[in-house]
Amino acid sequence: MSKKTILQAIRRNKPQSTMQSAQEDNYRSPSWSQEECKSLFIKNLQLQGGEIGTLAELQTQPVDFTREDLRAEYANAPLEKLNRLESVLIEGNFGVAENGAIWLEDKDLPQRIIPFITQQLIIRLHPSAIVATMHDAYRKINLTGTGYGVFISGPSKTADIEQCLVYGAHGAVKLTVIL
Amino acid sequence: MNSTHAENAAQFLADEPRANWHDETLWIVRQKRDKAAANIPEWERLRQQASAIKDEVLANLDVYLEQFEAAAIKNGATVFWAADAAEFNQIMLNIIRRHKAKNIVKSKSMLTEECGLNRFLQSQGVEVVDTDLGERIIQFRHEAPSHIVLPAIHLKRQEIGETFHEKLGTEAGNSDPTYLTRAARKHLREKFLAAEIAITGVNFAVAETGSVVVCTNEGNADMGVQSAPVQIHCMGLEKILPRQTDLGVFTRLLARNATGQAVTSYTSHYMQPKPEGAMYIVIVDNGRSARLANPKYIQSLKCIRCGGCMNTCPVYRRSGGHSYGYVIPGPIGSILAPHTHHYPDLPFASSLCGSCSNVCPVKIEIHEQLYHWRQDLMQHRQTSWLKRMAMKATGIALSGNRRYNTLGAVARWAVAHLPRKLLYLPVNTWGVGRELPQAPQQSFKAWYKTNNPSKKQTS
Repeated sequence: MSKKTILQAIRRNKPQSTMQSAQEDNYRSPSWSQEECKSLFIKNLQLQGGEIGTLAELQTQPVDFTREDLRAEYANAPLEKLNRLESVLIEGNFGVAENGAIWLEDKDLPQRIIPFITQQLIIRLHPSAIVATMHDAYRKINLTGTGYGVFISGPSKTADIEQCLVYGAHGAVKLTVIL
Repeated sequence: MNSTHAENAAQFLADEPRANWHDETLWIVRQKRDKAAANIPEWERLRQQASAIKDEVLANLDVYLEQFEAAAIKNGATVFWAADAAEFNQIMLNIIRRHKAKNIVKSKSMLTEECGLNRFLQSQGVEVVDTDLGERIIQFRHEAPSHIVLPAIHLKRQEIGETFHEKLGTEAGNSDPTYLTRAARKHLREKFLAAEIAITGVNFAVAETGSVVVCTNEGNADMGVQSAPVQIHCMGLEKILPRQTDLGVFTRLLARNATGQAVTSYTSHYMQPKPEGAMYIVIVDNGRSARLANPKYIQSLKCIRCGGCMNTCPVYRRSGGHSYGYVIPGPIGSILAPHTHHYPDLPFASSLCGSCSNVCPVKIEIHEQLYHWRQDLMQHRQTSWLKRMAMKATGIALSGNRRYNTLGAVARWAVAHLPRKLLYLPVNTWGVGRELPQAPQQSFKAWYKTNNPSKKQTS
């Protein structure tokens, strides 16, 4: 294995500067009110192709993973069963105003693939749980002891054919957020 | 590819409507980037911070790599180190054989392109399915990506429609992007569900937490990683960031600078394998540690592969990614390529306008490095004889006052009086596709002598 050789080469070659550590994360977020954060979040989510909705408006009844019994039922479900999921409801941790992203992690998901394999993803998010920027978001996340986490900011999309935007490349075709 | 950038570019430009479309489309992406950047009042501060973090990483790379490895192992991942492409490919093959895998999916990774992983595995009887839509298209067509973020930007929808008709049985003549994307979705969904191993690239690796971060819009990295029991993440050793909070800076910059989106649809953080799954991380050197030693070019190791310099480059937009011949095209590719062996003309495929440096999210002075490369290649006689002689002659001409005056006069006379055939002899490579300007009546020196206002007053 080349670990030793590589590290030796790095030690030999790296710049011998007395450089300080890059300034610690000292970025202060804009002082947006909760209301402003919410409206920015909605605007940015929609720009990324996400929708804002209510439970009553939903056309199909989602598999509700905010319910413990359904989470347990799907925790060991085989891929074939998951592949038949039309619509799922997941509780989001928090949102980010500047880009409309929502943080999900292992404890919110019966299986990691669910937000991707379902045709429609519905995320319920508490309107007060929206931070201003990604700086705030990364200060909030605690990955210790978590195996996986993801920011989702819209449906799956691609523009690989002549830069034409198409939703639903591989993951969910539709993302609806219920605030 | 043995032909030069200029020859390849001429071929690309022969199809003028396509070349114009390519130029305009990438310029639209550049404009989207400008709009996204202007939306962030502290944009310049973010670039500064990103650049400072990368400086810190490069100065302490060994420390952060070891910290990362320790944290990743603690998370349950297995970490491998590869000195070069051959070792990397062998490590990948060993993992695949260990798990007796037949069905392998891969999301975008420029590193695996750089190391020729697909080709190597194919030679060993292992098939890898690229799952990014653009990459799947070019894989069907046996082509290389022409852009690091938009791999199929060189193709028109009709060509993709034909490819899909042949490979996926879509309707002949149907090239509707939504129709074709749905067909690819169905085809690749089957591949995901059958996958035993999923390979991804890495956008960022955090030393503090041992996590790797992958950004996609399609969700193909996660469809693969979360379907397959085994996940392998391949990273160049410069992908390290010290702290989780550094991700705040880089996730704000990356998508905005790449496509003008505020963030990619999915920003995934992989820490631990799935229950009963396995997670591997392969750290690759392949020339990177050697570049650390060179203060002139070390900055190129800061690159986060956003593709912003390609979208803005007047030469890239008008010559296409394939014209470069190196796996990473455009301005950044022209400083990353191993020139002295294979790509001595790439640093000359630039107008040195500096637009690449202006948009670079980590403030690499790309155009200055291109300029340095030109000088180095000239010194090592890696450039054409004609170019070296022309430079030598120009040096002599410009180094003496009288020589300069005389030659100026000769040139003014020659441009005005010599027949076109003589002026545009094959040695005048500058004149291919360019017109000489009209020769002025007198030199600026002569003009100044008669028109200098201060002289007029005193005399």
